Amino acid sequence: MINLNNVSLVFQGGSVALSNITTSINEGEFVYLVGHSGSGKSSFLKLLYKEYISTKGEIEVAGLNVVELPKWKTPLLRRNLGIVTQEPQLLENRNTYENISFALEVMGIKAEEIESKTNTLLDLVELNENAFKFPNQLSGGEQTRVSIARAIANNPLILLCDEPTGNLDPDLSVQIVSLLEKINRAGTTVVMATHDSSIVNRRKKRVIELSNGKIVRDDEQGRYILR
Amino acid sequence: MNKFSYVVKNTILNMRRTPLLVFATIIAVLVSSFLVFTTLSARSIVQNNTLRWQNGTHVVVFLDDRVTTTAHKQLQESLESYSEVRTVDYFTKAEAEDEFRALFKDQPDLLSEVDYEKLPSSLRVNLNNPSDYELIIERMDGNPAVKEIRTSGEAIERLLSLTDTLVVSASAFALLVGFAAFILIINTLRLAAYSKKKEIKIMRLVGASSTYIRLPFIFEAIFESLIGTSIAVGLGWGIIEYSKNSIVAESIFDITISDSYLIYLTLVLLLSSIVFGLFASFVGIRKVLND
Repeated sequence: MINLNNVSLVFQGGSVALSNITTSINEGEFVYLVGHSGSGKSSFLKLLYKEYISTKGEIEVAGLNVVELPKWKTPLLRRNLGIVTQEPQLLENRNTYENISFALEVMGIKAEEIESKTNTLLDLVELNENAFKFPNQLSGGEQTRVSIARAIANNPLILLCDEPTGNLDPDLSVQIVSLLEKINRAGTTVVMATHDSSIVNRRKKRVIELSNGKIVRDDEQGRYILR
Repeated sequence: MNKFSYVVKNTILNMRRTPLLVFATIIAVLVSSFLVFTTLSARSIVQNNTLRWQNGTHVVVFLDDRVTTTAHKQLQESLESYSEVRTVDYFTKAEAEDEFRALFKDQPDLLSEVDYEKLPSSLRVNLNNPSDYELIIERMDGNPAVKEIRTSGEAIERLLSLTDTLVVSASAFALLVGFAAFILIINTLRLAAYSKKKEIKIMRLVGASSTYIRLPFIFEAIFESLIGTSIAVGLGWGIIEYSKNSIVAESIFDITISDSYLIYLTLVLLLSSIVFGLFASFVGIRKVLND
């Protein structure tokens, strides 16, 4: 599902974000991407959805050669992906329902389908009662759940989450991870960047650890080893 | 919701965000298009009028009453021999009277007071090139059979020169206002795009195509441009229709302009406004959407 072969990313000015990364993530896997701030977790994810362009190496995501994919075809890649950022990036002038349905609207889905699908997503993220609340009326955890619902609205093959629990307390973080596991069980491959050791250690999933832009550990059912 | 209704809805939303800027843009496009439409129409009207004159008589050589038939025929043959001359027609005193009566048929007082015996016979000269009228004057100068020479050539030249100056100055001004409209459209679109920056970011994340993201902005620019041009063209048509029946038209010259030319001008302007809107939207949001 995701293949990286000898991938490096060097920013203008020479700072190295990622260096010779080689790894594979299979269909249906749940992978934690761990490491300290600045270790390259976000850059890793941004390469996968072509927000950044690698300096060298090969990247294949959902059957597409990301490096050679022309810029105008980037939307094709992203339609296979769900992207959740640390900041939920919700539209302040739209309520929960509208924030979720927005992703369907812009893909040109029919109104009836949008309604049924949005209601299903509201069920999934347990936000039915908050459907008509605006982002400033929601807690941090609820906002993250809206952002996850929006990310999976178009049935992506892969869900990329960049520190979705970064601003949440431990209880809420657990709720979010449980939700992501539920999505994973339905068949979606999930890659979640985090520096929250308690979550990683409790869940016993595959862990890829980055340090200074290099993979320093790749463990099945791994733990977050505090260094 | 299908894609088209999404684009239309967002075009309207964008325009509602900055109503004053949108209004200013439409006005600027309107002024620019109106200047282009009216000056090009005016030039066509002048050309039509001068063309009629150019196809008619350019020089009138009034003959002395004492001139004999032989003398006027010699003079006519002499004129016809010049390479600049296309035709020469002899106009008798009787024909001059008929022409005078026809021209001033609405002024019976004048008609009753005129001594028609004094109206001279004349040679009406049509030139290949109306601007050669001075050559004819030079050649006829001092000829005892010639009483007076009148020409419309100078008036035509002045009018055409005046029209050309008017077209050039109005076009320059239209270009300037058009440029202002261009800047206004760019600013309007950039404001709309900046206010929707988060929305655009999300659209890109969920895989909306670049064209789809741009469409509401492109529609907005084309819509503003088309509205301004349509009003300008409408006003232009109205003014031409009004002028056809006005006193000015009766006293100076015919407001003669073909409908096919007006339709052609309208279509060209509307098409140009679409291209103008497309180009302005391309320039206006390129940087914002690439960020």
